[in-house]
Amino acid sequence: MTPRALTALVAARLYEQRRLVLYACAAALVVGLLQPREAGGPVMFCSFLGILMALAQSPGRYPHLDRCEQSAPLFGRELARAKALIPCVAAALATTIYAAAASVRGAPDAVLMLPIALAAVVAATLTALSATLRLRGSRAFYVLLAAAASAIAYVLAVPAHSPLAEFGFCAIASFLALRQYGEALARYDPI
Amino acid sequence: MPLLRMRSASFRLGSWSVAPVTLDVEPGELAARTFASAREAAVVALMAAGIVKASSGCVLIGDFDPRVQSVHCKRIAGFVPHEPVGLEERDFAAYVAYRAALWNVEARLAFERASALRTALGDMHEAFALPLIGALLAGPELIVLDRPMPAYAERILRVAGGKAVLSTHTNVAAARAFRRRDALRATPA
Repeated sequence: MTPRALTALVAARLYEQRRLVLYACAAALVVGLLQPREAGGPVMFCSFLGILMALAQSPGRYPHLDRCEQSAPLFGRELARAKALIPCVAAALATTIYAAAASVRGAPDAVLMLPIALAAVVAATLTALSATLRLRGSRAFYVLLAAAASAIAYVLAVPAHSPLAEFGFCAIASFLALRQYGEALARYDPI
Repeated sequence: MPLLRMRSASFRLGSWSVAPVTLDVEPGELAARTFASAREAAVVALMAAGIVKASSGCVLIGDFDPRVQSVHCKRIAGFVPHEPVGLEERDFAAYVAYRAALWNVEARLAFERASALRTALGDMHEAFALPLIGALLAGPELIVLDRPMPAYAERILRVAGGKAVLSTHTNVAAARAFRRRDALRATPA
């Protein structure tokens, strides 16, 4: 996949979802200002936003983009990487705004909070992406799995005081989730 | 050698399935097929464009199997969906740039082609014209139309030039409009 195609695909989706991204950022700003001191806030709340952004990539919400992407000469894994980037960019933006708002309100560890929250958010978002290609029970399962990934990341980073373990866990979870999404997308028949 | 070969190609989704389809489309041929339901027509068009993989039987697009070489198939076949695109004329440039980037067509060349096609399509509604222009930007050898509007048959076949066209329909009169060779002969050099 060329960088030009990747940029076009991500930009087109982000443009279509600009209101959703804006609402997510506004919500992150408000919650960041109200709840600046607790690390659980950005991890849980921004993971929730990431899961919502991932679910917004479900087929059928933007049919003309879906059809273009499906008929474009791209491999499933290439398309998966590009589509995974969209909710990750949006969720990362919301997380950064949350951390900035918390920092403005005088949160003492806002600088450390940002990478911890980002790692958890990316893992949760990528896990939730697989739910977009599934229905009913298995869709709910992937959403719960994404929430569980975020919760585990929080436990490792905050109660266990091991950010490195959290980063390692999130890296592995993200890799597996992206791989799973790519395989599901390659097999997916858009009927 | 046929550009598209379908041999007893069928698609199954739960208890519903598409009846096996067998057809050949030669380069430059106008093929129009009628199906019992809109869903069947849509699925056959998607299979012919390499977007949906046949559950049984065989589909070859320019000798490539969509189950294995879907990227090659999608370079040969341009798919035009039935559903109109919810874009307006002012989105034209952005849409062309997007399609050109996905199909790796040079931006300047894409705009030139798209503008020429838009002029050739005349007063065709942009919701139907844009997907057709998008599909033709990369110069596919086979154009697959999912239930196109018969009112636009002549214009669609004119801009398709000498390329092979497969269209799926739900009524015989619409299919007949897309088999008319005189529309192709009217193509300006």
